[in-house]
Amino acid sequence: MRRTGTPSWLSIRRGEPGLPGRDDDVVATPPSVARIWAVGGGKGGIGKSFLVANLATVAARSGKRVILIDADLGGANLHTCLGVRAGERISLSDYFEERVVDLDKVAIETPIPGLRLILGALGHTGKAETTQEQRSALLKAVRRLPADLVIFDLAAGTDRSTIDFFLEADDGFVVTTPEPTAIENAYAFLRAAFYRRLAAALSDSNVRELIRVAMDQRNERGIRTPGDLLAAIERIDRAEGDRFRRVLETFRPHLVVNQVRDTEEVKMGFSITSVCKKYFGIDIDYAGYICFDDNVWRSVKDRRPLVLAYPRSDGALYVRRIVKKLLGT
Amino acid sequence: MRPLAEQSYYELLEAPAEGTPQQIERAYRIARATYSPSSTATYSVFSADESAAILRRIEEAYAVLSDARLRREYDARLRRVEPRAGVPTVPSPPPPAAPIRERVPAPAARLEAPAGADLEGGLAPENGVFDGDVLRRIRVSLGIELEEIATTTKINEHHLRSIEGNRYELLPPPVYLRGFLKQIAKCLSLDAGRVADSYTARMRESSARRD
Repeated sequence: MRRTGTPSWLSIRRGEPGLPGRDDDVVATPPSVARIWAVGGGKGGIGKSFLVANLATVAARSGKRVILIDADLGGANLHTCLGVRAGERISLSDYFEERVVDLDKVAIETPIPGLRLILGALGHTGKAETTQEQRSALLKAVRRLPADLVIFDLAAGTDRSTIDFFLEADDGFVVTTPEPTAIENAYAFLRAAFYRRLAAALSDSNVRELIRVAMDQRNERGIRTPGDLLAAIERIDRAEGDRFRRVLETFRPHLVVNQVRDTEEVKMGFSITSVCKKYFGIDIDYAGYICFDDNVWRSVKDRRPLVLAYPRSDGALYVRRIVKKLLGT
Repeated sequence: MRPLAEQSYYELLEAPAEGTPQQIERAYRIARATYSPSSTATYSVFSADESAAILRRIEEAYAVLSDARLRREYDARLRRVEPRAGVPTVPSPPPPAAPIRERVPAPAARLEAPAGADLEGGLAPENGVFDGDVLRRIRVSLGIELEEIATTTKINEHHLRSIEGNRYELLPPPVYLRGFLKQIAKCLSLDAGRVADSYTARMRESSARRD
């Protein structure tokens, strides 16, 4: 399929990932345009849905109109974190299959005032894949939702749809735990997102071919790092090299390390940002970490967000801190 | 993005060019842990050889930046190069301890905040009180071990533990305690006076309640 036009995440706009979390970003937001967050991370079971439910609850309680979208179409379970029964209720698949035209009507109420949820497609047609057109239409509709903040809970893995939602967001969060498997998947996720953005930003066919080759870590051209790739691209076309640098400057995901048990594991976040800087040349924002807390699984079992069930727990404190840092509330 | 060989010592350690010796020390500890052979953060990205090469450069950077005299000389050479950034420069003579063979690049135009500076900000206590819990959380959020504070401040680790644990009955007399609190605050880049005032006020409240 051929891409037509420029993806919206290539143009400079409010909330460009280079300038996250500043109060004036929020103030400058026209009331009708929702700020979009997307939470991904590559590996499953690392607490993405837990984090999304709790970030959203904190934001809603501070007076923001929040809508969550469970974009994990194959394994939707965000509703359970919020104490909502999905049953046969209206979901994203009703929107994709055009049974409902107005996306706002797909957002159902949750027990938390100010917080609504768009269910994943669980239990309907079982179709977990979306087309580029469906995603573009969804994203356009999301921008028009009557909300201050929309948060995508992304699927595990690096599917094209997952990466597209991540790149479209004003703020993309990569979640990991301190385990090697989760960290490896977080890098894979960042790498996929970075190269996807790069491929869309550069137009020269030779350069695009080079990026395709470089995405294979063991490629024959000996391109190991984005630095090698940049050097190779500049030999083909200097202007494309400048565009590459521009992508580097504006790509600024946030990192959250979940289930941290000690100081060593807090430092893991600094280490990951250092590797990203030295390997990709990109500045990752270490947005925060959430300490390992028995209250977390208790709250998941209770099907209530941690910040409501155990507001004084360490875990809740660290979630509030991340929201405060990004929204200034 | 600059190849490793062209990064300044500050870029290598990801430390601010105006960083205090404590910030340099901290940046070094994090860098060393990150690129050590057993590091979880690097093994899936860098090969063992690549990590070893980065680590060698980090050790080289630390050898210079942790030595006040060598750092002054290095800073002076950086400043001489800076006005003509991008223009080939005559290589400056290497310092005696750690020879630098490659061209010394200009430091980044924007001073980088020390790693984690923004993490600590968000931990300012919600009720404005710096008690032991808050100090511990801030320390942990900066990735600083108790042992590091003990080494820097020469305060015995058991005192540090008692301070963080709010074990007032075990603390030294107030005049020493204030000094300790101020030194800890400095390690955590906090306002020393405010931390000492807040902690001791909370301690007095607590003992007044018990009486």
